[in-house]
Amino acid sequence: MTAKVTVKDLHKAYGDNEVLKGINLEVQENEVVVMIGPSGSGKSTFLRTLNKLEDPTSGEILINGYNLVDKKTDINKVRENVGMVFQHFNLFPHLSVLENVILAPVELGKMSKEDAKALGMQLLTQVGLAEKADAKPTQLSGGQKQRVAIARALAMKPSIMLFDEPTSALDPEMVGDVLQVMRDLAEDGMTMIVVTHEMGFAKQVADRVVFFADGYIREQGTPEEVFNNPQDPRAQDFLNKVLNV
Amino acid sequence: MMKKHTWLKASWLMVTMLLGLIVFNTTTAHADTKEPHYVITTDTTFAPFEFQGQNGKYVGIDMDMLSAIAKKEHFTYKLVPIAFNSGAQGVLSGQFDAIIAGMTITPERQQVYDFGTPYYKTGIIAAVSPKSGITDLNQLRGKTVALKTGTGSAQYAVSIQKKYGFKVTYFNDSNTMYNAVALGNAAAAFEDDPVMKYAIKNGVKLKIITQPANGGEYGFAVKKGQNKELLAKFNAGYAAIKKDGTYDKIVAKYLGSNEAKFSGDAKENNSIIGLLKQNKNQFISGMIKTLQLTIFGIVFATIFGVLIGVLAVVPNKFAHGFSSTVIYIFRGLPLLVLAFFIYIGLPSLTGTKIPAIAAGLITLTLNEGAYIAAFVAGGLKHVDAGQMEAARSLGLPYWKAMRKVIMPQGIKLMIPSFVNQFIITLKDTSILSAIGIIELTQTGTVIISRNMQGFRVWFIVAMMYLIIITLLTFLAKWADKKFASK
Ligand SMILES: Nc1ncnc2c1ncn2[C@@H]1O[C@H](COP(=O)(O)OP(=O)(O)OP(=O)(O)O)[C@@H](O)[C@H]1O
Ligand SMILES: [Mg+2]
Repeated sequence: MTAKVTVKDLHKAYGDNEVLKGINLEVQENEVVVMIGPSGSGKSTFLRTLNKLEDPTSGEILINGYNLVDKKTDINKVRENVGMVFQHFNLFPHLSVLENVILAPVELGKMSKEDAKALGMQLLTQVGLAEKADAKPTQLSGGQKQRVAIARALAMKPSIMLFDEPTSALDPEMVGDVLQVMRDLAEDGMTMIVVTHEMGFAKQVADRVVFFADGYIREQGTPEEVFNNPQDPRAQDFLNKVLNV
Repeated sequence: MMKKHTWLKASWLMVTMLLGLIVFNTTTAHADTKEPHYVITTDTTFAPFEFQGQNGKYVGIDMDMLSAIAKKEHFTYKLVPIAFNSGAQGVLSGQFDAIIAGMTITPERQQVYDFGTPYYKTGIIAAVSPKSGITDLNQLRGKTVALKTGTGSAQYAVSIQKKYGFKVTYFNDSNTMYNAVALGNAAAAFEDDPVMKYAIKNGVKLKIITQPANGGEYGFAVKKGQNKELLAKFNAGYAAIKKDGTYDKIVAKYLGSNEAKFSGDAKENNSIIGLLKQNKNQFISGMIKTLQLTIFGIVFATIFGVLIGVLAVVPNKFAHGFSSTVIYIFRGLPLLVLAFFIYIGLPSLTGTKIPAIAAGLITLTLNEGAYIAAFVAGGLKHVDAGQMEAARSLGLPYWKAMRKVIMPQGIKLMIPSFVNQFIITLKDTSILSAIGIIELTQTGTVIISRNMQGFRVWFIVAMMYLIIITLLTFLAKWADKKFASK
């Protein structure tokens, strides 16, 4: 087994505010890791250090064997392999749906425009939005936007996908479609790290659930272990609140 | 890829064209390499000593004399007509080798200039509007007197200011000064005797109320200790034309006849069409200069502004500091001060001359560019930070993300500001007349100084600006449409 992601004693501080206080985590190939935890516990910050949208204060991060902390590592090469999906989609509003999807592979010379278009259409079909290829992002619903964002990330053929609360900004009736796309991805063997409050998704899809609190990983294990028999008092408290609404 | 290429090509073409323009401007006169070559400045209007003749060529006692002396002494020169005060300072800063502009020799000036043999005796006289009823300097008490900046007459007037109790106001050329008096905005003007008499003879409605006072002499001047060879040539040539009668002929030619003889048929002046016809070449060349300044100014200011604006958003503290300092300085300085600083101030520091048009373009680039930088920075900051993060997370390098994702969104927000700035740039070119660029506004001033048709000429000039603005706005709308539809 090869670890796709290895994090050792990761610290991150904003000024005096230490947000990550020593995170250790390994994610294996094809593994789906779901991260849960209270607001402000550092889940987003952690996820963003994994593709260097944030610089860690100290610690070690290896992605596909690349050392992110090493200044000599070409971060753009690493990012090509790590797709990221944001809570607020961040589609490029000046480009059509298809143009959003093919921008990176074409600009980075990964394939010809023709090939990229073919791949783009295939990905849009996969997320159920082929007929929206020529639409502008403003003409889409939130759920559609997020599915386009996933297709856009997949266009670089990444081997790891990061999701930061991909359904939190969506109307409830839109959530299902997005989760279905993610479920399909997981079934196809994508290595995924997902921050979410969708406990149903976590139970069904996750190989492992990781609980964050106060900048530490307080608890981790299979969904059954974490949801049915949490050990950490904070995890018990948190799960009580989110599962019994 | 293609688009980037053509854009680069276009801007490269512009740069080469500008360089060509500058090089061409400075080297044409060097064609004759055997004879020494000088840059000599004169006043824009100081008839009968220097004023524009019919075809836009400068004529007058100083001009004919200089040309005769140059021929006798075998040197060539490039003439730069510019407001007297700027010209006098330009000699000191090294921008010009010499000045011949009816310049009175005074002890103060002798501290910093070396003068040639005095070539014309003069005195200072005061004139008023005949309608004012003023007959005596004593009646000027409490009133405002019009003076020309930096002149001996102005100095003299100030020296008697206390005695007669008048206030003073300053103008940059004789003609505006006369008009201020003729229209009643000022009570009197002080000017050199031959100049004032010549103006009155040519239709300026003023009445002389004093005898020539504070008699002085005109001299050709170089910066003290510099251009000794040129000064010696001038003196030798002057002695020669004095001896062979050329000098007397020149003086008689100008003082003996009306200016109209040199500047064309006065009847043409009474209609706008006539004025246009008569001054066609000058208006066209003024318009071309204005267009050159505007177009090149816009192109360079845009390149400079976008560059500095982008520096304000890149993740680098040094770049931020640099960008905001540049914006702070060049947006803060008045255009006129910046123009004078570059044209007259910089050469005195560095010792290299700058052609006026280049100084003008640098001024526009820095000043308009600073405004552009400010709204470019604002526009780019307005683009959501998530856009950059999304682009980077896909593996796009910073500059590619900037160009493909951030800039297109930012520029859309900026288009109205760009159009606005282009129109301001066009209008600001008129300020550059102060450093001697004969663009549209200066063309107007010069033509009026000859024919006194203020209303009609300014009307024509105003219409020409409106035409250019209309074309520019049209162009901008077209570009906007093209861009928006993309
Ligand atoms: N750019 C920043 N500058 C300063 N502080 C920050 C920054 N980003 C995050 N923080 C702080 O770091 C802490 C952790 O934030 P983070 O967004 O990682 O939490 P989270 O677990 O994702 O919370 P949520 O569930 O609300 O998204 C918070 O206290 C937040 O205020
Ligand atoms: Mg978060």
